[in-house]
Amino acid sequence: MKTTTLDWRQALLMIVILGMLGITAFPIYWMLVTSTTASTDLFASPPHLLPGLSQWHVFREVFNTTDVGNWLINSAIVAVGTTVLSLLLAVLPAYALSRFRFAGIAIVGLALFVTQMLPEAMLVVPLYAIFGQLSLLNTLTGLILVNTAFTVPVITWILKGAIDGVPIDIEEAASIDGCSRIGTVFIVVIPLIAPTLAATAVIAFFHGWNEYVFAQTLVSAPELHTASVGLAGFVGELSTPLHSVMAIGLMYTLPAVFFYLLVQRYVVAGMTAGSVKG
Amino acid sequence: MAADKQTAKAQAAAGGVGWAPYLFCAPVMLYLLVFQAYPLLQELYLSFTQTSLLSPGQHDWVGWRNYTDLFEQEEFSQVLVVTLVYTVACVVFAIGIGLGTALLLNMPFRGRGIARSLITIPWAAPPVAVALVFIWMFNGQYGVLQHLLNFLGLSSGMEGWLDNPSRALTAVLLTTVWQIFPFTSVVILSALQGVSNDLREAAVIDGADRFSVFGAVVWPAIRPTVMLLTLFITIWSLRRFDLIWLMTQGGPIGSTNTLVIELYRRAFTYRELGEAAAVGMVGLSLALVITVVYFRLTVRAERAAGH
Amino acid sequence: MTTLMSLPSLRAGARALGVAAVFAVAVPGAAHAQAKETLSFAAATFAESGRGDKLKLWVEKFNKSQSAIEVQPLALPFSTLAKTVFTQMGGGAGPDLVRFDLIDYYAAAQAQRILPLDADIKASDYKLTEPNKYLVIDGKRYGVPFEISNYQLIYNPQLLKGGKPPATFDEFLTAAKDATSDQVFGFAYRATMAESNGFWQDLCNFVYGFGGRWSDDQGNLTINSPKVVEGVIAYKKMYDLGATPKGADAATYRRMFWEKKLAMEIDNGGVAGIFSQQAPDLPLQAAPSPFPTRAQGLILAPLAINSNTKHKEAAVTFVKWMMQPENQKDLQAILGAANVATVIERTPEELAARPWLKVYDDQSPHSVPQLVKGFEARTPEIQQVILEQVLRVLQGGAEPQKAMDQAQRLVSTRVLRK
Repeated sequence: MKTTTLDWRQALLMIVILGMLGITAFPIYWMLVTSTTASTDLFASPPHLLPGLSQWHVFREVFNTTDVGNWLINSAIVAVGTTVLSLLLAVLPAYALSRFRFAGIAIVGLALFVTQMLPEAMLVVPLYAIFGQLSLLNTLTGLILVNTAFTVPVITWILKGAIDGVPIDIEEAASIDGCSRIGTVFIVVIPLIAPTLAATAVIAFFHGWNEYVFAQTLVSAPELHTASVGLAGFVGELSTPLHSVMAIGLMYTLPAVFFYLLVQRYVVAGMTAGSVKG
Repeated sequence: MAADKQTAKAQAAAGGVGWAPYLFCAPVMLYLLVFQAYPLLQELYLSFTQTSLLSPGQHDWVGWRNYTDLFEQEEFSQVLVVTLVYTVACVVFAIGIGLGTALLLNMPFRGRGIARSLITIPWAAPPVAVALVFIWMFNGQYGVLQHLLNFLGLSSGMEGWLDNPSRALTAVLLTTVWQIFPFTSVVILSALQGVSNDLREAAVIDGADRFSVFGAVVWPAIRPTVMLLTLFITIWSLRRFDLIWLMTQGGPIGSTNTLVIELYRRAFTYRELGEAAAVGMVGLSLALVITVVYFRLTVRAERAAGH
Repeated sequence: MTTLMSLPSLRAGARALGVAAVFAVAVPGAAHAQAKETLSFAAATFAESGRGDKLKLWVEKFNKSQSAIEVQPLALPFSTLAKTVFTQMGGGAGPDLVRFDLIDYYAAAQAQRILPLDADIKASDYKLTEPNKYLVIDGKRYGVPFEISNYQLIYNPQLLKGGKPPATFDEFLTAAKDATSDQVFGFAYRATMAESNGFWQDLCNFVYGFGGRWSDDQGNLTINSPKVVEGVIAYKKMYDLGATPKGADAATYRRMFWEKKLAMEIDNGGVAGIFSQQAPDLPLQAAPSPFPTRAQGLILAPLAINSNTKHKEAAVTFVKWMMQPENQKDLQAILGAANVATVIERTPEELAARPWLKVYDDQSPHSVPQLVKGFEARTPEIQQVILEQVLRVLQGGAEPQKAMDQAQRLVSTRVLRK
């Protein structure tokens, strides 16, 4: 008797979970279906629900007729650059916020919080002028620098949480060995918070991969367009076929999803390790 | 408060605070100064001027006029209302669904690991791509959602979503929540994994039902995480741009016109940088007020909880 | 205070933070540091399927004719071109040559962001097309038309009862209704803010067609005049007919026309040109739009020179090259059913192959820019107010006259006060 109720519960749970998975996966599945639906059938009623196997050539076509390959490479450069720079900049202040009580700590904390509130659209005009002065316009470096400004605050907070969880005694042992403070951070602390570093790396990577407003404004050379700008711009006024748009959308989405699936183990572990524990 | 004890110990070990924390924080502060604070101050200044996007170097000082103009316009109160509704709904649904999902994914079942990965897919999808596929799915004529509603007999068809003032905000919200709830669920799930199973089992042995176990054991453990998530989702929702802009540009009839959309339109369509900056400052003030209230509330809650 | 921070120190700060230099990607152009003077030419048209590549070849023809100048086409998306270019111009940079829409041309000219061309392009040297007059602002010319495009009804005779286009608005409604079936829609136009620019173009056609204008010759707003209201009512009648694919964006319904699932639309000659190039089997025909008057909107996209340019002479050389008859002829052929800066007669073969070209050309004397005359540079804001009110009529059931009264009031008190 007991086992049957358990089974019943299990079944219900599975149904709910499968339902949720269906909802989360459907839009991406629909990109696939739309991109492989022949353009004559796009306006069919009822719609085609399965990907059209004969239409795979659409991916080759958009790859050959647009710069999507180049856009993706640019997005990857921006994403990787943002990730590396964000982590480099965030580790030490995170450590300081976790381990020291110093005059001005409130200012640092406040600065990190307030910068989370600034919309990109608000800063883009003054940043354009600053970038002009710094010769950063029309460079991927510029995009990396500006994206990092938006990821560093949240990453610092998350890393601080993780460092809070590292026992101080481990560090003491290290400082007796004569390691300098920065050495301690890099040799002792960082390996211990590796999962959280991975989690924050993912956050930074996605930010760089997805960013649209700056990429659209601060870069105009077509060869430096990122995938977000390329895709948004591809939706033309003049009869851009929807299946090509969706094909590019899918080519832009899948690398991020695969990358995420690859590292998600660390993300969950990293969030647990310190994360936003308050 | 364990962290405080650790901090004190660390500081003692280092022989006082010294210059180390300042050195550690200097690069990031300098960085934020250049890329955030400096442009922010420029925006603050611009908000008191009339300045054209085409000649941002020439400002006519107008004092508070941009601000008084905003609050004289009836549409601006609509912008504030839409912003608040959008933000609150994002928080409620992203946290609610995220919490529910996290609790489900914390139960033992076969394939749990795979489910945990797959459920987070939306978070990894780029907003520009998400906006485009949802625009297509919400299409009033050929959209798959309309077909579904027609099939289920829930709609007479052709009411439209993104072009319908009474449904556009719902459509934008559905899209947003779909995109962000996986993040809240991952974070809450990781907090749940920190909840001691012994405590939970002890409570169950004591005869507590599911709800009281949740209230007595689980909720207190994850509450700080949920609270902080609430703050972050609030702030991020206040400044979300690409999804809304690409889906509706704030329309129809202003029904999805949030502060950031209004800011962008004034800056780039009307080319009025001063007005746009004023809108931005109103948004920033709103975010600051919410943050201050949040910290007041959490401090009070922590005191009440006896910390 | 950070505001006091001098630029050199800012620059040094950024260098110190230059970890990202590892990822540095060289500025394009720096690599092209040959003897040739390199100019950039930004236009949305370069990104269009079909026309874009041909235009790039046309620019290449110029490059081949020059020993010291090279023009590089810069394809910017239509929806963001003005925003991007204006931000760049405001920041002291931007492409050397720009193909604008007329609204943006006015804004840029009034802000002195594009150069007056009167000294270089003498009107008397050319046989200029009629719409050139719209490019003269306060007696000065800041650009030359790159593309002039009229609006006409285009239809698929196979999908219309009797294969004949409607001649009056009532016939138009009937024809749209009759053509609509499970698979086919009678007519399509835009009515969403996500496509506010296209919505404005379509609305202008209805309003102008019913004899309305947004302002009179004395520069008074006439947003709530009877003729404008008639146009809005007509827009609403079509909206309520059940013959339009609501919410379908322009790219989608143009594709539907292409796939023979849409019987009629009112569109510009550039679109007709793309249809005929990309879908040669499509039975495409054009007729005057079925409104009481022949007035319709006009797409006028001028080519202008950025006043920030460091290559003024070279840019002028390009503009002059463009104005030469042979190059004008090539350009007109590439653009489809469009006209260019100077009058270029179509060849009999062309007209025989594409009879709808003549319908478009004949529309020229009746075309009116989609601008609020007298308030050209403020058109984006006025447009926003008007469209919101029209949406209230379409969707919220607002009474047309009241809605347009409200639009008139809002525009006068808010937009024009400044």
